[in-house]
Amino acid sequence: MHEYRFHQVLLILIVLFVATIPPGEVQAGEELNCLICHKHRGLSRIDENGKFRLFYINNELFESGPHRRNNCQDCHTDIVRIPHDPAKKVDCTQQCHVVEPSGKARFSHKPIAETLAMSVHGKLDAEGKPKKYQEDYPGCKDCHDQPLYRPLSVFKGEPRSGISERSISRCKSCHRTGNFAEDFYEHVTSRLRKGRFPLETIEVCAKCHQNPGFLERHELDDAVTTYEETFHGKLIKLGSERTPDCLDCHVVEGENTHLIEAKTVPTSATNKANVGNTCRASDCHKKASAQLASFQTHVTYEREKYPMQFYMLMFFKALMAVILYFFLTMIFFELMRRLFPAFAFFKESKADDTDTRPALKDREQ
Amino acid sequence: MVKLLKKIIFKLYVLCLMAFTVWYGYFMYPLIFGFEGKEKAAESLLEMGAAGTEEEKMFVRLIAEQTKTKKTDLGYRVIDQPYIEGRFHHIGFTIQQDNASICVRCHGNVPHDESKEVRSFLNMHAFYLACETCHSRPDEGVKEWAFRWYDKDTGTITNNPQALKDIEKLYHTEQEISQYPIYGNYGAKVAPTLNDFGETRLLHGVKEMIFVDRFVTEQARLQPEQKSQMKKVIHRKVTKDPVPCKDCHQEVGPYLPFAELGYPPSRVRELTNVAVVNMIQRYKEFYIPSLLKPGGG
Repeated sequence: MHEYRFHQVLLILIVLFVATIPPGEVQAGEELNCLICHKHRGLSRIDENGKFRLFYINNELFESGPHRRNNCQDCHTDIVRIPHDPAKKVDCTQQCHVVEPSGKARFSHKPIAETLAMSVHGKLDAEGKPKKYQEDYPGCKDCHDQPLYRPLSVFKGEPRSGISERSISRCKSCHRTGNFAEDFYEHVTSRLRKGRFPLETIEVCAKCHQNPGFLERHELDDAVTTYEETFHGKLIKLGSERTPDCLDCHVVEGENTHLIEAKTVPTSATNKANVGNTCRASDCHKKASAQLASFQTHVTYEREKYPMQFYMLMFFKALMAVILYFFLTMIFFELMRRLFPAFAFFKESKADDTDTRPALKDREQ
Repeated sequence: MVKLLKKIIFKLYVLCLMAFTVWYGYFMYPLIFGFEGKEKAAESLLEMGAAGTEEEKMFVRLIAEQTKTKKTDLGYRVIDQPYIEGRFHHIGFTIQQDNASICVRCHGNVPHDESKEVRSFLNMHAFYLACETCHSRPDEGVKEWAFRWYDKDTGTITNNPQALKDIEKLYHTEQEISQYPIYGNYGAKVAPTLNDFGETRLLHGVKEMIFVDRFVTEQARLQPEQKSQMKKVIHRKVTKDPVPCKDCHQEVGPYLPFAELGYPPSRVRELTNVAVVNMIQRYKEFYIPSLLKPGGG
């Protein structure tokens, strides 16, 4: 009986202890023990539409981004038991348990979705009517995978990628609780640089803007291939992070990156009246004149659509080929002569031979 | 003599220059007229756009994306992972293909689909268990099979994976959570082996692999009934009922000898733990205690 009471008290104490753990300190993914299953790399199936679905969660990488403060259930709200039914599509505009510090309200991506709706990528037109080909317009996941921090260290001298343990230790001298210092440091320093490496941004845009079916439906030019042929595109392919990608030119400086507008919109970064300002953005060509921006950035060479550009391209290709191969042929024949100094298709008469041979021999020597 | 040598060297030098001139012309051709690879990529994209039904489009896309990877550059670290359409969470590892399984030749490496409740779990097991481990049993009266690891790449019997043994360390460190990625990706699979005159060999070894490969490549030449004959023969070792989950996930005498296969003691305890066994047995009734939910209880 005594022992029974002891167990009862112990159980109550455990229950009280567990119930008083603040949710913010619970490790991501741990609160439901989701990783019991989702830690396994092969947890996968082919869904009804034939898509390969991998349910593995790399917790190390999950913990490397701003979502680490979220529990699985914050996004996957429909999962209430394990094993669970196929999870529903995550609604990024729902509120999660994280409190946004500036406004003290529960966090949501709703303002971002509202900005996106106002952009050229929004599903509704200016009159509020659904645009044609609704399925072509992007949702969050079409452009975003799980965000990861790209921290910077500027503790000494030149900035470098990664965390500065020295800086963190300074933060920690006051902000000691939990991972607050690390979170804050990584969050803020990641915002000092682009959220993605430029090549990755281009890959994201290419999913649609290099897709022939998409381009045909929306009567668009292949903006990605044409960009890749520019000086900017080539530098980025060579690994530059300082060269502008799609977002740098298609978003007004200081504006939310989700607000990309069609070039016909007067406030658009690519509107003819604003292109000069776009090139003169603070980290780009500050002294650029209006003429710098007057060229056609995305040049396609379709004969029917852009005959002028097409024939110019043909002309320059031909010119280059003629000049290059003419001189290469000349060099080749010159070398042949060096190899066979006395070679001739038609031998000259003996009388002439006596005159010419010594001269050739001299030249060879 | 020296003069002759000089002359030979000069001729060789000229020959080299001639070769360089030809090579340079060849090298410059794609720079002027475009790269063949680029055109091929464009053709592939055009084909994708021109494909008729959704199924055709998907097939063309899969062909185009078969080796597609996705790189995420964090500045201090690059994460290279396979590209999976619509995937939000990062994978952070390369899915190692099983080149040594004859079943994978036709069934792929995500073969389970029938049972809605357990298909993902079964596919998870297919990552480190050969198909015949669960879908075949030794004939009655024949000596029991021995289970061994085989290398997914070479198909040869290999030692117990070090990555598996290393899991034990994780149970004794605070870094356990961040080390989760190790689970399941050992570069090897457990498969039954036979002892042939003192030599241990896989139940599905090289001979069987060559046989199935030949069937896969030449089956178009067979009559329909011949195909059926061959399929029957290939699948004759497949038992009607696979080895049930609880045969392995049990504390006493599990079907797979986890310890012998290199599973560390803590992992063995986890796999044969009552909670896991109960979860399997009372599958649909295993609810999350609401007390453990944030804001719940």
